[in-house]
Amino acid sequence: MDNDSLEVRGLTRTFGDLTAVDDVSFTAPPGLLTGFVGGNGAGKTTTMRMIMGVLAPTRGEVRCGGAPVTRADRRSFGYMPEERGLYPKQPVLDQLVYLARLRGISAPKARAEVLDMLDRLGLAGRSKEHVEKLSLGNQQRVQIVAALMGAPRLLVLDEPFSGLDPAAVDGMVDLLAEHTDRGVPVLFSSHQLDLVERLCERLVILKAGRVMADGAPRDLQQAGALRHRLVVEGDAGWVRGVPGVHAVDVDGPVALLELADDASLQRLLAVGLERGVVRELTPLRPTLAQIYREVTA
Amino acid sequence: MTTTTPTRPGPQVDDRDDARVDTSTRGAWRVVMNREIVVRALNRTFLVGLLVSVAIIAALAGFLAWQGSKTDSFTVAVTAGDTAATAAVEAAGAVPEDQGGGAEIDTVEVADDAAARTALTDGDADAWLHPADGSDGGWVLTGESDPDSTLTRQLTTAVAGQTLETNAEAAGTSVAELTAGGTLSTDRLDGDAVDSQTLFFASFALALLFFIGALGSGQMIAGSVVEEKQSRLVEIMATAVPLRHLLAGKILGSSVVALAQNVVFAAVGLVALSFTPTASILPALSTSLVWFVLFFAVGFLGLAALYAVAGALASRAEDLQHTTTPMTMAIMGVYFLTFSASGTFETVLSYVPVANVVSMPVRVLSGDAAWWEPILSLLILAAFAVVALLVGERAYRGALLQTGGRLSWKSALATRA
Repeated sequence: MDNDSLEVRGLTRTFGDLTAVDDVSFTAPPGLLTGFVGGNGAGKTTTMRMIMGVLAPTRGEVRCGGAPVTRADRRSFGYMPEERGLYPKQPVLDQLVYLARLRGISAPKARAEVLDMLDRLGLAGRSKEHVEKLSLGNQQRVQIVAALMGAPRLLVLDEPFSGLDPAAVDGMVDLLAEHTDRGVPVLFSSHQLDLVERLCERLVILKAGRVMADGAPRDLQQAGALRHRLVVEGDAGWVRGVPGVHAVDVDGPVALLELADDASLQRLLAVGLERGVVRELTPLRPTLAQIYREVTA
Repeated sequence: MTTTTPTRPGPQVDDRDDARVDTSTRGAWRVVMNREIVVRALNRTFLVGLLVSVAIIAALAGFLAWQGSKTDSFTVAVTAGDTAATAAVEAAGAVPEDQGGGAEIDTVEVADDAAARTALTDGDADAWLHPADGSDGGWVLTGESDPDSTLTRQLTTAVAGQTLETNAEAAGTSVAELTAGGTLSTDRLDGDAVDSQTLFFASFALALLFFIGALGSGQMIAGSVVEEKQSRLVEIMATAVPLRHLLAGKILGSSVVALAQNVVFAAVGLVALSFTPTASILPALSTSLVWFVLFFAVGFLGLAALYAVAGALASRAEDLQHTTTPMTMAIMGVYFLTFSASGTFETVLSYVPVANVVSMPVRVLSGDAAWWEPILSLLILAAFAVVALLVGERAYRGALLQTGGRLSWKSALATRA
């Protein structure tokens, strides 16, 4: 196990009779974007708050770098809470420098870093403006700067892309990529499955406080019953006689098939070639949305 | 230390690992305090309020000074040849200020009664002094309307004195002989120099200073706490510094501002007062004000902690009105009780925390308090402040990271890691 991973082990949190997070375990590896997906009330925010120490776990532990996370560790974590805001009546630069200083970064260093990041997010000219005068998208950019200051060891971002237009999403993705390139684990939650599918090298799906799936999107896609589409010349009805092949649907030359294993695939291909021309044999990867619906069904 | 913990009921904050806190978080409260002071001091509403208050104090003192320095002057008509009336008016002009006099009185001679009436209607004279009709003598002061009360008082004194003198002479004796041993002067055992009217004014002023300072700065703390809670900034800060640093910085920052504001008000008031006739009470008032500032500083620490809790109990700014109500009521109560209190009630109040911020300095001013009394009272207030800070810190931490609706003190105190 890599020492810089974020490891969540058996994390559980109850509120009275309600178990909001139930024995959640997963790993966010270094240098990768890990997507945290689940419906409303699935326990994403509660889990993230426990990782950041904002909420005490009922059971379980959070480890980073191979050891339980302490308060001192958390000072070097970047965090973006949900339903967030900033000081509306304070200038952008002032409040970012203030937040940086609370994390132990000296004022001049914080200033330089903040100005650089604002510049790259297209907010250079607005550092002296009050936050309330910025558009929501720009306020979000300021918030991401607050999380990224001081080269954090871990990033925990709760819905970082909500409310952003596609260009702003790309800008933020570029910024996050710099941190994954440094080997930082990034855990972010999102409702936008297409975005998660595009960005994530790793995925944790949560439902009703429990982990329903955990792994690389490709692995998750292959874990389910993988279907294939076969197109031949003439009628494809013969596929029903091939061992290990289950025909879900046959419509003239096109068949939708479920194959038991790789040997069945080879057998199918051999029989097909023997009988004539095989135009197409394609594995059908389910989209993330399909996987999500399947595992949370 | 690990983050594995046994089950505990209710929401709680993971605020442990204090023993392993990075040494660099130690100065975090100072960073917070500086921000509170700067943000508050640069707040336009606050600055305008401060300037307006200072202007009002200065204007009020200026008005008092002008009132005090102003000498009334009157012109009294007497009929030509009426030497007794002329003498009476002259004597009236000489009545000293501490016997109800002080106004300048000039005489203008008129030819006859008709001319006197003309002088009154034309405004050449303020009043006309003439002998009463009839045989029993006496004098009449006629004005166009009611003659001025100061003028009447001075002339009454002068006429009575003059008549007494004339009658005494006629009886073969003198005024001195007649009035010998008939004087009454007042004295008090405590040898106090501050009269009750000044005392009332001073207690009113102190109560107002307390009211403005405590309520204004208190609301400011509650507002700044809920602002951070509502925007979740506190969640970011909680991962960076222990929450008690945040609270300490806030309390100290707003205390500094509240105290500075009161010192400014008190200084402007004292300087302004030195230009007024009441300047004689300045030394006594200064001592009392020093006590007030000291009491306020200690008392406000406790109030600030409670106001921070009021802010943490709210989930959004709209909840503040509800959560700060008990504090507002308490401060208004102190305001109304202290400036109107007297006697035993005032003595009791001067030991009751927060009310003693006003009542004890007032008793010091009145000379009613023994030297040890303010010290004892201050210790009681300090004990209150310590308890308020401890309880407040606990409730603040319990409530601050809980979201979703208004919280109660009970749930805030019950839920803590």
